[in-house]
Amino acid sequence: MNELIQHLVNALILGGTYALLGIGLTLIFGIMNVVNFTHGALYTVGAYVMYLAVAALGLNFFLALPVAILGGLLLGAAIELVLLRPFRGSDIDTTMLVMIGAGIILQSGTLWTFGGVAKAIPSPFPEAPLQIGLVSVSWLRLFVLGAALTLIALTYALINRTKLGLAMRAAFQDSDTAALMGVDVRRIYTATFALGSSLAAAAGALLGPVYVVFPQMGGLAELKAFAIVILGGLGNVTGAAIGGFILALAEEFGAGYVSSGYRDAMGFLIIIAVLLYRPTGLFAKAERIG
Amino acid sequence: MNRLFPLALLAGLVVLPLGLGTNPYLLNALIVTGILTIGAMSLNLLLGFTGQLSLGHIAFFGIGAYVSALTSLGFDVDLGFGLRAVHEPWPAWGGFLLATVAAGGCGYLIGRLSFRVRGAYFVIVTISFAEVVRLVALNWVELTQGPLALTNIPAITLGLPGLGIWTLKTKLQNYYLVLTVGTLCYGVIARLVGGRFGRAMRGLKENESLALSVGINATRTLTVAAVISAAMAGAAGSLYAHYLRIIDPDVFLFATTVTMVIMVVAGGKGTLMGPVVGGLIFGLLPVALRPVMAPEAQWIVYGLVLIVILFVMPRGIVPGLSALLSRRQARPAPVLEVNPAVQR
Amino acid sequence: MLGRFTLTTAILLALTSTGARADAIRIGVNEPLTGPFAASGTYVVNGAKIAADEINAKGGVLGKKLELVIEDNKSNPTEAAAVAEKLITSDKTPVMMGAWGSSLTLAVMPKLVDYETPMLVETSSSGKITTSGNPYVFRISPPSSLEAETFAPMVSRLGLKKVDFLVLNNDFGRGAATDFGKMLKDKGVTVGLVETMDQGAQDMGAQLAKLKASDADTIMITSSVDQLVLLFKQMAALGLKKRVITTGGSQNPDQIIAQAGAAADGTMHLTTFLPWSPDKTPDPKATEAFIAAWKKRGFDYAGVTESFRGYDGIRAIAHAIEKAGSADPAAITKAFWSVDLVGLNGPIRFTKAGPAGKESGQSKPDVYLIEIKDGTVIVPTL
Repeated sequence: MNELIQHLVNALILGGTYALLGIGLTLIFGIMNVVNFTHGALYTVGAYVMYLAVAALGLNFFLALPVAILGGLLLGAAIELVLLRPFRGSDIDTTMLVMIGAGIILQSGTLWTFGGVAKAIPSPFPEAPLQIGLVSVSWLRLFVLGAALTLIALTYALINRTKLGLAMRAAFQDSDTAALMGVDVRRIYTATFALGSSLAAAAGALLGPVYVVFPQMGGLAELKAFAIVILGGLGNVTGAAIGGFILALAEEFGAGYVSSGYRDAMGFLIIIAVLLYRPTGLFAKAERIG
Repeated sequence: MNRLFPLALLAGLVVLPLGLGTNPYLLNALIVTGILTIGAMSLNLLLGFTGQLSLGHIAFFGIGAYVSALTSLGFDVDLGFGLRAVHEPWPAWGGFLLATVAAGGCGYLIGRLSFRVRGAYFVIVTISFAEVVRLVALNWVELTQGPLALTNIPAITLGLPGLGIWTLKTKLQNYYLVLTVGTLCYGVIARLVGGRFGRAMRGLKENESLALSVGINATRTLTVAAVISAAMAGAAGSLYAHYLRIIDPDVFLFATTVTMVIMVVAGGKGTLMGPVVGGLIFGLLPVALRPVMAPEAQWIVYGLVLIVILFVMPRGIVPGLSALLSRRQARPAPVLEVNPAVQR
Repeated sequence: MLGRFTLTTAILLALTSTGARADAIRIGVNEPLTGPFAASGTYVVNGAKIAADEINAKGGVLGKKLELVIEDNKSNPTEAAAVAEKLITSDKTPVMMGAWGSSLTLAVMPKLVDYETPMLVETSSSGKITTSGNPYVFRISPPSSLEAETFAPMVSRLGLKKVDFLVLNNDFGRGAATDFGKMLKDKGVTVGLVETMDQGAQDMGAQLAKLKASDADTIMITSSVDQLVLLFKQMAALGLKKRVITTGGSQNPDQIIAQAGAAADGTMHLTTFLPWSPDKTPDPKATEAFIAAWKKRGFDYAGVTESFRGYDGIRAIAHAIEKAGSADPAAITKAFWSVDLVGLNGPIRFTKAGPAGKESGQSKPDVYLIEIKDGTVIVPTL
């Protein structure tokens, strides 16, 4: 019984960051129709900025977090302006390859700059876990869950409560009509990509201290983000949030009760099953985002 | 593109080993590049001619490699419920045939699926499929040896009636074997695309409802394309296994699919020569970069070259260059290829 | 278009003539410098460079300088085989060192037979490497069976009763679980769960929750240093307090202390090198000199436990070339059998292993049990 509860708690905590990763990717896909293969690299960059700020510059842990998010935002905007804007109107395969190229450059760039040795980010939280009965949770992970949920809530508010969000929703439904209505679609695209990138960087900055930071960390995260997005339905923000938790649950229980070797297979098996049963994802593509 | 170009390239590749003085390292690079290029050609059949992007193409390649290796090595596996599967080693060419058939069978499943799920969903289903196959290869240790890799895979044998059997062990023999299989695959694809079937595929890609209304059977067309494409990838995988003589679950890595997609799209998807030209460039680029720069920098250049090609010739190298050539013939002054996306 | 084609050919031809110094003896080094094993591979290469510079400063071998030809195998078996091919045929190296991981080394091995060129294996631990009948393989790292054998006398002194395993889901991890499991059963110790984790896995919470619920007193872990750091942190977060013993010799305890902090306290590690107490190593002077050279070059101190293998490997190769009297692959292969050298972790002497007539060479290094206590490494007295 205790083992079961421990698995549930683990899944809940893991699910928060999975959701964060998925939302960033699904936003970019839904609004821009771009399969973002730099998502994993941006996750890595977020973690390295956090490392630089905390371990190298000695910045406060809680101040470093927004710095990393801002770093992701700026890098995302730069990628959009330099690489995606010139390819606007190209088919989805072309932009996808451009993103693959950019992903290769970013990942090799981090390896070149920081070397292959993993780095640890010190955290201000106590090492001893919070103990409830026989179930334990680390304070750092609780904070990560809280921060992830806060960021998800902020993203929701941005989409549903602001003018920028309104324009994004308009561009999502029909970019041509939105442009006719006076929405600067080019700016919306840049903003969307920057927002999605900052969420990926935030996930990296939050998980960096929990795990360790190394140049290849984004690869697996990216595949998982794809799984989450497809589970939730492309472009469906709520779906991605729920998909993140479903994937975490499946992995945790798959490893706990089936076989730990197939842990990472669980997510993909679920995807295949879901798509065969409901070809448009568990939650069909939303008519509108938010 | 000039009709003579494929023949000239083939002639060049036939005599290339003479020019290289049979340098084993470069021959090795050419053989591996050739095998990947066959994979890229098969991918092009799906991606370029039917417009379905399979990012799990490496699954067929890997299945071909494993089926071929296991057929020629033999295995003895406990299936549970008291059942055992025992297989005595077969000659390697038997493995090659079985690999082609088995990969084609998986292609049938994916082809049926591609009718149910389209676009980005199809992309992710294929990625998931490849990833699950990789994890099975990694975890079914009794059959596949898991991460310990299948070793001592026999080299491929070639038997001609009345002439005896040869084992293709040397680089040069393997080079010509890959070149032969590659040329055959090219011929098959050219015949397919040039005929009625090719028109059906293109029709579906351009305008599905119109194609359906004129009586094109979409399910059948897509399925046949997927089966042929997968079977060719399986054949390439089999060549790979018998050439390297070791195979491990890393063969399923996503990065290899990405390499094949890059070869197709950079070379020019939906053209016959595109994957060949793209395959040669992106297969040999790492070899050319290796001696001149640090390993990380090689990857950065690889990414940069990819982006630059897409920027300068968004439809790929082959269509880009032939447009350039025909314009040159039409007008005396050369006109730079301009990205149509920029003009919009 | 044809012009382009001839250009490619010209580039290819240019590549075949890589400039070689005629007066140097070349040693091929085939290591992962990118990909998941990049950090460890780089450490080994750095150790190799120190050895080569040291030997060259003393006048080289057979009156010639040693020249290392270092190639990246991208942590990928296929690439490792291609690199071996390049080193042997294009760079004409008569002997090689490589290829870090077992699957990388196994991929290279058929090439050694094809070209009759010897290779010194510095890190790989799979039993398969020395038992598959490859007479060109000489290994200085211990296979897990040898490690288990050396650990056997300590089992009763540690008072192990029931042991669970948590290992990497590859040759390295599964091999260790099999060999240590067999040894423990022979000693009357119960073997419980055998849990696996993937190479790049970062969250092992599910496996650890399972291990926490088990009634075993000890967990034996086999993995690389990065994953060990994660495991110790996650064990602390789960409140999992059992005796932990790691195997495999890739632990870099200093990195663990620096990155896992208090979470690593009390963990025990089977290691093949003792840089923390040079006086307890077989050749204290050489150990101190090596550590000094390592620090002087500004390398990360935690890397010494990995890099000494590159250092010892090159020294053993130089020794074999000296004994061979020429830089000829066949002569070097033969000379490996008469290598007798005090390495940083015990004598390097190759004994025969594998099927008769085609034996591989296996050296038997020392294995030490160390413990992390209050942020420092101690050698516990048992």
